[in-house]
Amino acid sequence: MFSIKLGLKNLTRQKRRNFITILVIAFAFFIFLFLDSLMEGMTEMSFNNIKNYDTGSIQVAHPEYWEDKDNLPLENLIYLNWDMEESIKNMDGVTGVSPELRFKANLNNGIDEIEVIGLGISIEQYNQVFATKNHVVEGSMFAPGESKAVIGVSLAELMDLKVNDYITLLLRTKEDTFNTIDLEIAGLLYAPNPMINNGIVFVPLEIARQALNVENGISMMAVKIKKEKEINPTIDNINQIFQEKNMNINAYSWKESAKTVMAIRAAEDAETVVMLIIILSIGMIGIINNVILSALERTREIGMMKALGMREWEIVLVFMVEAAGLGIFGGLAGCLLGFAGVWWITEIGYDLSYIGGDMSEWGVPILDKVYGVWNFSSFVFIFFFGIVVALFSSIAPAYWAAHKEPVKAIYHR
Amino acid sequence: MCSLDKYLKYKKESLMHLNLIKEEKQMALLELKKVKKIYQQGKIEVPALRGIDLTVEPGEFTTIFGPSGSGKTTLLNMIGCLDTPTEGEIRLNDKKVSDLSRKELAMTRRYNIGFVFQSYNLIPVLTAYENVEFAIRLIDHSSELQIKEKVLKMLAEVGLKGLESRRPNELSGGEKQRVAIARALVKEPKLILADEPTANLDSENAAGVVDIMRKMNKELNTTFIFSTHDPMVMKYANRYINLKDGMITADERRG
Repeated sequence: MFSIKLGLKNLTRQKRRNFITILVIAFAFFIFLFLDSLMEGMTEMSFNNIKNYDTGSIQVAHPEYWEDKDNLPLENLIYLNWDMEESIKNMDGVTGVSPELRFKANLNNGIDEIEVIGLGISIEQYNQVFATKNHVVEGSMFAPGESKAVIGVSLAELMDLKVNDYITLLLRTKEDTFNTIDLEIAGLLYAPNPMINNGIVFVPLEIARQALNVENGISMMAVKIKKEKEINPTIDNINQIFQEKNMNINAYSWKESAKTVMAIRAAEDAETVVMLIIILSIGMIGIINNVILSALERTREIGMMKALGMREWEIVLVFMVEAAGLGIFGGLAGCLLGFAGVWWITEIGYDLSYIGGDMSEWGVPILDKVYGVWNFSSFVFIFFFGIVVALFSSIAPAYWAAHKEPVKAIYHR
Repeated sequence: MCSLDKYLKYKKESLMHLNLIKEEKQMALLELKKVKKIYQQGKIEVPALRGIDLTVEPGEFTTIFGPSGSGKTTLLNMIGCLDTPTEGEIRLNDKKVSDLSRKELAMTRRYNIGFVFQSYNLIPVLTAYENVEFAIRLIDHSSELQIKEKVLKMLAEVGLKGLESRRPNELSGGEKQRVAIARALVKEPKLILADEPTANLDSENAAGVVDIMRKMNKELNTTFIFSTHDPMVMKYANRYINLKDGMITADERRG
């Protein structure tokens, strides 16, 4: 159709203005793709840091304990025998089960004292669920039977502690009496999850149980599964086991422990919408401005087109084709820039050192560097979104241009 | 042949002649009846046309001349369905133009009317070929080859063979006007309206342009109506209409 040919040829007019419009669209798209990659990367890193270093995929606990878990109570603990643990571990898709006993404590280095979270673990089972052992930077994790502790590098720096130093943990037992545990530091951790590094002391489970006087009780069990999509079916299976045993114990998804991060994720989704609206507005303003200026410059030409017998919709089509062309070129340029930006953020990462390297203050468990992720569907989406936005943006000004009075248009000065 | 036979033969021929005239009168291409156009400039009414009565037959080569502000352009715009009269009636091909919708007016211009303007009004991003092709593409859905033949033939007719791929900024004033004429003629309209087509041309180019229009008028029987001040153009016309203050003051036909 000749209108399409004319629209495409018109792209070669006003090269500078069209170039600037394309550049603006490209820049807006680049920002979207870059931030989308960064936010997706942050989300993925946060989720992985939570699952791999804090909660596992599923947590099993007494419902009343779960309601109050942030206070680290010693009531409503669960008392499971080996068989029960094995039956969970033998479920399809489950790769590890780790019992945990969490408690409040004060860490004393002989001079200073600081509030910490004590985490009693069975080291062999813990290593099946969590990746923490890969991040021991000094010393090692304690072996089964050893009366040693492992702490994070940040906590060690704060308390001026090194490997082989001795610490005392002051705690309250289940009967609310004071007790202490003296432990030698076996290793220092620097895990990607800053919450691990800042305030947790890992101790052997049996030592924690003895000190807290909870017999064989545990706060919860962390369960690791192979595939994320199997979480809900596995939760159902675990709940069924406990129901059959008439035990008041439930399984919970890791997401329920990560409410802050989930809230941030929801906020990020809202941010994505806001970003899209901003990009849409930038793109629209650029296109509308371009079409209006083109229409003003070509008033006589529009009049001539009408004199030739072109209908209004055919004239609108000419401008829409031009706008679509700008959208396509802007989209391509934006995707190219976006490709470079996303490559940079995925390969090199974004250094967080300017904020102290630790995002845990904002509830996001990420340390040092944030890496983006490749999200090719975003590229496809934004490219076609750009064309659609360009087309829709051009309709109103093109309609305005096409409805000029032919006589006034032809003799326009 | 006896006297009676001669008489009957004469009568028959006379009747046939009368009927022919009647037929021709019924087939006038363009009719204007008491056409008025009044422009509103704020509270002031400016009458551009004050009651025009005009009939144009097919194949006429008509000039409209008059001083600036006499209403020539307004009259051409009315005839060309670019504007509508405030009062009166315009009929083109026996169809009342004022009754037509915007779409029908556009279709009328598309199929029946060609325009040639003083300032050429070519589309700058299109070549000479494409400017002409543009016009025919609107009405002709023939094959690519057939369109190409028509366009090239028309460009050759107006003396632009070899210049088809040039853009308007690469053509002289005369060449541009020839492209405009080719564009107007390629769709073989019934009527071509030319508003001061030679005003921006030197005498040589002006003569060339008028020659082409005369040639097309004779070969295709296309009706030409053009407004002009150029006496050289006027001498080629076979009808002169003098317009003054929005009224026709003279209307002469030359053999």
